[in-house]
Amino acid sequence: MSKLLEIALGLVTGIGGFLEAGSLSTSAQAGAAFGFQLVWPIVLGTVCIAFLVEMGGRLAAVSRHTLPDAMRERFGVRFFSVVLVAVVLVSFLVLASEIGGISLALQLATGIRFQWWAPVVALAVWLLLWAHNFGLVEKGASLLGLVTLVFVVAAFRLHVPVNELGAHALPSLPQHDGARYWFMAVSIIGASVSPYLFYFYSAGAIEDEWDESYLGVNRVIAGIGMGFGGGIAVAVLAGAAMVFHSRGIQIDRYEQIPLLLAEPLGRWGFILFVASLGIACFGAALEIALQIAYLVAQGFGWKWGENLKPSEAARFTLVYTIAILLAGLLIFTGIDPLKLTIFSMALTALSLPITVVPLLILMNDPQYVGEHGNHWIANAAVLFISIVACIVAVVAIPLQLLGGS
Amino acid sequence: MELGHAVLDQQVRDRKGELMGKVDGIVLELRGSKAPRVARLVIGGGTAARRIHPRFADWLLGWRRRWGPKDDQPVEIPWSQVLKIGIDVKVDLDAERTSAWAWEAWVRDHIIGRIPGA
Repeated sequence: MSKLLEIALGLVTGIGGFLEAGSLSTSAQAGAAFGFQLVWPIVLGTVCIAFLVEMGGRLAAVSRHTLPDAMRERFGVRFFSVVLVAVVLVSFLVLASEIGGISLALQLATGIRFQWWAPVVALAVWLLLWAHNFGLVEKGASLLGLVTLVFVVAAFRLHVPVNELGAHALPSLPQHDGARYWFMAVSIIGASVSPYLFYFYSAGAIEDEWDESYLGVNRVIAGIGMGFGGGIAVAVLAGAAMVFHSRGIQIDRYEQIPLLLAEPLGRWGFILFVASLGIACFGAALEIALQIAYLVAQGFGWKWGENLKPSEAARFTLVYTIAILLAGLLIFTGIDPLKLTIFSMALTALSLPITVVPLLILMNDPQYVGEHGNHWIANAAVLFISIVACIVAVVAIPLQLLGGS
Repeated sequence: MELGHAVLDQQVRDRKGELMGKVDGIVLELRGSKAPRVARLVIGGGTAARRIHPRFADWLLGWRRRWGPKDDQPVEIPWSQVLKIGIDVKVDLDAERTSAWAWEAWVRDHIIGRIPGA
């Protein structure tokens, strides 16, 4: 495949795949509660994930190791099992959040309660993976995911004051509701820096047999793809600030969020919101379910691959089957999808040092990346953002739980 | 010894390049006054579990005795059958003729294979 085409496909995947249940709901909630003030966590999170995705791709291209392979080899089975448990747990909660998001989109479209949709959605996600034609499905979902660009259109139609928005790219202290402010800030960072993104990306680079000649492609896809993706999240926040914050409305249920598009775009806005939510979450759910299976299979040396028949990689298949089944069940219990999502994102932020630091160590080890080791800026940025996010999460999560929102 | 440590937790592939598992343990041969030598590589969940925590391994093996394939034995690979050590450890074996895929086959025959379309 020509490199230009690969860049184009990679960018579509990055842009169309960035927005999912986590970034959509955290950005919308933050815009409603604090106006433009929480743009900075989106910026920080996007910078961090762009670096991490680039590292995952570079590790695969230079060392020909997937991330779990390299981690287990470098750190041994004991430490690897800690990372494995942390990433699987966080990814599972995010998977459930995505299934919740799709179910909610179906509830908005049909009026039938989301929990009844959960088994249908789980079955659909599973069937597409079971049909082992994932490459096509994923590219289709990413292409359709470009519908989320409608949030950018909406932000323009709402005449978002760009200068004021830009001014909040740097952090500022809250004027009210400090605990909620910091909790939302870490949730937003967690939503951007979901580990499934770079684990999944690095597994894809191995399957596409990347070598050193792909380092440039990798940099472009990671930087521009994630950058534009983050831009969509900023548009969601800005739109929510214009529609909800200006009227003093807080978002505490998914059903309120369509107004974000319905106000500037009318009936079509509502339809496009439902489509965006459903498609974005569906694409993410496929990736996360697959990534959980990749991680476990690669960590234990089992046969894995998106194009193997289920019977040719039985244990791999079993892992995603169980993950999807349990995630579907969790939503079927009627748990509030929005609360689950926000909480999962905060937990993701909390777990960042465990999921990110091992990757940083690998990216500075000449045995793996040779002369293509990390620049100190990449090390410093990722380390700083993940440690700060973790510390804030340690303080903000208990406060949020005690405050009982 | 150094080599032994380097191969621990590496991916093992058979002669066809199929994924067999990880190097979960190594068996060293003590040779009196001379430096110990790697005698065998071991692939086996119980071996890996023991390196995480002995009690975890006991619990896991107890559970696996009651439930799972009958030929659930660790695979021991003599050092002489190691072909190449690079990104992976390539061994001169056929994964299908060892017990490396005992669990793979068990999951396929008892769970995944029973679902239509597998």
